[in-house]
Amino acid sequence: MNEQLQMMMDNVKQFCEQAIKDQAITFEREGIPESMFQAFRDQGFIGANLPSSMGGAELDRQGYDAILFRLAEYSPSAAFYVYMNNSIILPLLSGAGMNDLAGEVMKGTVRIGLASSNLLEGTGDHDPFLSTAVFPSEHMIKVENGKVLLVRGKFQHADRKSLGLRGLGVGMNSFEAEESKELGRKESLEKLMLGSSWEQSAIFLGLSKGALDKAIEYTKVRKTFNYPLKDYSPVAFRLSELMSDLEFMTHFLFSEEGEQKGLMLKARSSDFSRKATKHALQYHGGYGYLEDFGVEKFYRDSVALSSLMFRPEGDKKALAESIYGSKSGYL
Amino acid sequence: MDFDLPADLEEYRKQVREFSLREFTEETAMMHDIKEKYPDELRKKALESGIIDFSNPWKTMLGIEEMCRVDPGLGISATVPYFGAEILMLHGSDYLREKYLSKVATGKMMMGLGVTEPGGGSDVAGLKTSAKKSGNHYILNGSKMFITNGGIADFFVTLVRTAEPDVPSKRHRGLSVLVVERNFKGFSSNKLTGKLGVRATNTAELIFDNVEIPQENLVGEEGKGFYYVMEFFNISRVFVAAQSVGIAQGALDMVTEYLSSQEKKGVPVSEELKFKLSEMATRTEASRLLMYKAASYLFNYKPNPTITSMAKGYASETAAFCAETAMEVTGMTGLSTKLERFFRDSKIMEIWEGTSEVEKIVISRMMMRGDSSE
Ligand SMILES: Cc1cc2nc3c(=O)[nH]c(=O)nc-3n(C[C@H](O)[C@H](O)[C@H](O)COP(=O)(O)OP(=O)(O)OC[C@H]3O[C@@H](n4cnc5c(N)ncnc54)[C@H](O)[C@@H]3O)c2cc1C
Repeated sequence: MNEQLQMMMDNVKQFCEQAIKDQAITFEREGIPESMFQAFRDQGFIGANLPSSMGGAELDRQGYDAILFRLAEYSPSAAFYVYMNNSIILPLLSGAGMNDLAGEVMKGTVRIGLASSNLLEGTGDHDPFLSTAVFPSEHMIKVENGKVLLVRGKFQHADRKSLGLRGLGVGMNSFEAEESKELGRKESLEKLMLGSSWEQSAIFLGLSKGALDKAIEYTKVRKTFNYPLKDYSPVAFRLSELMSDLEFMTHFLFSEEGEQKGLMLKARSSDFSRKATKHALQYHGGYGYLEDFGVEKFYRDSVALSSLMFRPEGDKKALAESIYGSKSGYL
Repeated sequence: MDFDLPADLEEYRKQVREFSLREFTEETAMMHDIKEKYPDELRKKALESGIIDFSNPWKTMLGIEEMCRVDPGLGISATVPYFGAEILMLHGSDYLREKYLSKVATGKMMMGLGVTEPGGGSDVAGLKTSAKKSGNHYILNGSKMFITNGGIADFFVTLVRTAEPDVPSKRHRGLSVLVVERNFKGFSSNKLTGKLGVRATNTAELIFDNVEIPQENLVGEEGKGFYYVMEFFNISRVFVAAQSVGIAQGALDMVTEYLSSQEKKGVPVSEELKFKLSEMATRTEASRLLMYKAASYLFNYKPNPTITSMAKGYASETAAFCAETAMEVTGMTGLSTKLERFFRDSKIMEIWEGTSEVEKIVISRMMMRGDSSE
């Protein structure tokens, strides 16, 4: 990691330690507060990767991923918020020439939700549907009949908390549409999703690190049968293996480039995040099962994000095709 | 070797399934999950309908499996008011059985089991709660953590230290089981909220502040508590295997239905996804067979701790595996349906009543001692 990147990592970490660490539980319970969205904007997280013509900071891919990685370590919801604005919503608005609205989003005066169930596999034509509902939000992006639509209207928030990304009010929300505008074809959205494998990997790896760090700390102090957990070989070896895998993948994240490699990392990191967070929870014993200890959220989020961002069929097929150089893995 | 269950058990299984499908509606399950509320009305209905039947342990096991297959949180809640009853059944005096157990069996009382403490659950012998003899009472001080039914049960079968071990390295000596009533002076409980899953069940911390326990509330003999609890775990782990098999089967049901309906809609289902279904089905069946084997030993009065730990350990990992695989296969659909609740519920299987690691410790210890699985 070069010096500049390291500095970026350190700065974001400092922000997270000061502004997120002690509040992460509240984010999960009550949603990310308004003031935090402002803070993301003030920190330059929103628009970090976008061109200066859009008011962005033009950070390179690694710099942007460093932000996502660090945020996910503390709050995967916060990381996803930054990702969905920078990598999905703002490019869609800009592509449709809606620069004024994009500007409002950058300033934090307008927030837009994503109707997730209709975005990806196209399987969830539910009403109410699973969506992010960043409060207070009057806009939502959804896919209908092959088109990406920006809908204006009113959210009715679900009282049921979803599996993951609770900080963003993800749930079976309803939306009463008042007007809608087309932002493009469904393919443009798919391209953005496919094109952001690196960013998605950064979130998977960041949240894995958040969970594993907690497990390492906990197993140093928790004793059973008169020994700290770290002294038991299955605990120490498993956590060390997971930390090693994390290190390899993090190195890959910050040193490699290209679409194929991005897909490779996304496939590995989404699998890995489920495994790492599950072990981290397990080594906390009963405490891991309780929200207060802040480790179960990583387990929930890893699975929810895998469902949201990783299309097991689509992404694996794309990877197979890039490796074979021809149509493959379709039967 | 006959792998078919007798007709009366098959019939019973069918009845429980019908009951669960009728009573454990999605609305009910979701409400209790969201509100973290114990479904007392379902406990009563299950008892009144006769599907909670202690006369035959096979029925208990199959009933748990079928209920958890429909909804783990509600299924466990309906079957857990009797948690710990076997300790009283096997070792309680006539007085204790009459005063407490008979009322639990008729639904007039609920009970819980207090073993785990804030300082540890796996290391049972390391517990700190102490009961000092004073005249014809014990004076109880300490606390218990993560106790199911902790906020609602009328009494708790509680493992405590009544004497220091005669040999310091034999910490399991000097432990005893006492029945502690909720309304004894000095008893209090704090409900634990924000659980990942099984949120319909009630979980609490119990605090004992100079609680006076009458001597007649000692279960069995003083100093034998550790053995009673370990014996109990050999029974209850078969029932946790049943919870796990139920969860795995429920997840499998949903994935089978999902993939079949995709195919019917003309959406191609890849071999990759079909192989995942095959693996889920195979692991679920293997878990069920291990559970039957453990149950067969146990219910014929020749418990086999090795097989029991294998059944509990493997079935619980299978439950978590199947729920997670189901989430992966169904993607957004899983995320927005009851499958996500199954996923959250499944993880506890690998933690309570002996974590996966503890089961492995038991299995390897028994194998190396020459107590093989046969
Ligand atoms: C919802 C819920 C309900 C519960 N209900 C009850 C109840 O009704 N009654 C009751 O008494 N308890 C109950 N429990 C407690 C449960 O049984 C314990 O959480 C469990 O036994 C683990 O104990 P612990 O949490 O103290 O974890 P610890 O014992 O601290 O273990 C932490 C981690 O270290 C691992 N570990 C420990 N020792 C070793 C070793 N030697 N080698 C390798 N790994 C090791 C464990 O497997 C675990 O992964 C409940 C827990 C929950 C979450």
